[in-house]
Amino acid sequence: MVWFKILNIDIMKRLTIHISALLLLFGAGACSVDNYPAPDSGLYGTFLDAETNEPVEQDIIRGSTIEFIEHGYASQTKQTMIIKNDGTYRNNLIFANTYTITPVRGNFVPVTPQEVTVKGETQLDFKVQPYIRVKEASIEKVGTKIVAKFKLQQTVMNNVRKIGLYAHPEPSVGEPMRVALAEHEINGAIDPNKVYQLEIDLPSNSNVLKTGGQYFFRAGGIIDAPESKFNYAKAVRIAL
Amino acid sequence: MNLLKLLFCLSVVSFGCKGSDENPKKDDPKPVEEVKYDESHSLFKSYKGLVMAGYQGWFTAEGDGAGRGWHHYQKSGKFEPGFASIDFWPDVTEYTKTYNTAFKYANGEPAKVYSPYDEESVDLHFKWMKEHGIDGVYMQRFVSEVKGESGKRHFNKVLANALKASKKYGRAISIMYDLSGSTSADMDFIVRDWEALQQQFKLFDGQENPTYLRHNGRPLLAIWGVGFNDGRKYNIADIQKLLDKVKGPTKKASILLGVPYYWRELGRDTENSPLLHTVVKQADIVMPWAVGRYNPSTYLSVAGPNLPADIAWCKANKIDYAPLVFPGFSWGNLKNDKSLYNQIPRNKGEFLWQQIAGAKMSGAEALYVAMFDEVDEGTAIFKTRKEGDTPLNADGKFVGIEADLPSDYYLWLVGQGAEWFHGKGGYSGAKPSRK
Repeated sequence: MVWFKILNIDIMKRLTIHISALLLLFGAGACSVDNYPAPDSGLYGTFLDAETNEPVEQDIIRGSTIEFIEHGYASQTKQTMIIKNDGTYRNNLIFANTYTITPVRGNFVPVTPQEVTVKGETQLDFKVQPYIRVKEASIEKVGTKIVAKFKLQQTVMNNVRKIGLYAHPEPSVGEPMRVALAEHEINGAIDPNKVYQLEIDLPSNSNVLKTGGQYFFRAGGIIDAPESKFNYAKAVRIAL
Repeated sequence: MNLLKLLFCLSVVSFGCKGSDENPKKDDPKPVEEVKYDESHSLFKSYKGLVMAGYQGWFTAEGDGAGRGWHHYQKSGKFEPGFASIDFWPDVTEYTKTYNTAFKYANGEPAKVYSPYDEESVDLHFKWMKEHGIDGVYMQRFVSEVKGESGKRHFNKVLANALKASKKYGRAISIMYDLSGSTSADMDFIVRDWEALQQQFKLFDGQENPTYLRHNGRPLLAIWGVGFNDGRKYNIADIQKLLDKVKGPTKKASILLGVPYYWRELGRDTENSPLLHTVVKQADIVMPWAVGRYNPSTYLSVAGPNLPADIAWCKANKIDYAPLVFPGFSWGNLKNDKSLYNQIPRNKGEFLWQQIAGAKMSGAEALYVAMFDEVDEGTAIFKTRKEGDTPLNADGKFVGIEADLPSDYYLWLVGQGAEWFHGKGGYSGAKPSRK
């Protein structure tokens, strides 16, 4: 037993020395490889409708994307940012530098890349032309149904593919994030004077839309253009 | 005391410095006064709201006096069955001056053509424009052609015919230099040629030429072929210098630039050079070349997002925008390839109307129609023979417009588009029906 204990201590000692040496090595390595300051700047802004100046609603997942390339590197690596449902975006961990920024695969008419110099807290709003404007929208509980009514204005010649009403417990509700939905195929030009109506029946969705719970509902439509995304009216919270 | 004095002196010195910085430099050159035109006689003060076509005017016939043979009709020096560069055959029923050719119809009748060298033929074209409400044309001036004496004589004669007819029928007219085949060294030639045209035809004289198109308070000159990546022997910097000379410090003219379709993205058919955007911003109007960039089935996905994006770019940069529309495309005879007959089919005007409506719905305010009389590439909107009623062409053929359409159908349809762009209601994505 005593012999074993001694041996054990010896191993422990040697291990400690080794680990210390390793740590030292890593530390030194870290110092020599990355001696740069951490990202200390922020870039934020809002997607605004160029005509109405209102924020353009987005999807947080599978939504419009911001691509940005930091200048000064040969690799030209594209990094991406996502946009929140309310049309705002923010990146708090970005290096002060000049960037080429392009919103892509969006629910708006394509825009050209622009250069921006980020230093400290930098605001960059994007003025865009949403493919579809969802107007005069109302979403209400009527009896045992959630009823959405709205008008649509398309700003491009492409067909409107479909319209939808989506429900989810989170405010980031949308076509990609829903527990219940009502959709209607259009595949044509919309009539700007028509009031479109979509309904979600509550009793038949009672397993996901529970009585007493609070849910968010959002209605919108999608244009038939390459890589386009849904355009929406603001989400509405309803207690069931 | 000494210290106070020193401080006082320092403060005077520092004030002195600041003061001298704020003084404006006295030797600033006097700003050049921009030229002002009397537009009281001008009938067309802006391209906005107009639907105008391109006018090639490059055809000649043997015996028309131009001395250029069957220019742009012929192939390999011959204009006879098996040798033609045109796909559509002009319908010359209404022309007072026509020329027999070696071509014959199935019934043995000789097939005739016209020449724009003849005043009466150009007059008829402008008469059609008026009848159908087409606002006017851009007279193509091919640098590679007008550099030679015979070319210059021909195109000046066609221009003289057109200026006269445009005045007679109240149609807008403007000159468009086509730079295809030009070199960097030709830029000075263009400047001289343009100056000579102004003198010879009194282009800027509103009383002499009330129909010469104005834009932004100045006569409009169009320059086509800027930024294409097809191996041209001039570059964007050459065009920039050309613009400097043509506009000059007094801004003598407004400029329309004909650019490739993907000019905004600087990709595909466009040279990847940001200088193109600098030059476009120096112009007044941009017109992207759309012929062959889409067909009826790809139009929505190509032009759908592209057109409004172009228009938004132009708005942001405060220049005007004119999209191009074309009825279809066919160049089987020109390219000696039968598979290229009706390469982009017309579909009885559905394709043309799709583009007119698309441009309008995207927010365009003017249209460029390619082209009025282009039968080599089959984009002509003027009267041509119908399918099954064209001359024989050895083992090839001529493409006709659809047999159940009247021969002025495409003139009429463009005229309908012009009505829409003029503000008349009742039009939509559905092609209007002719009563």
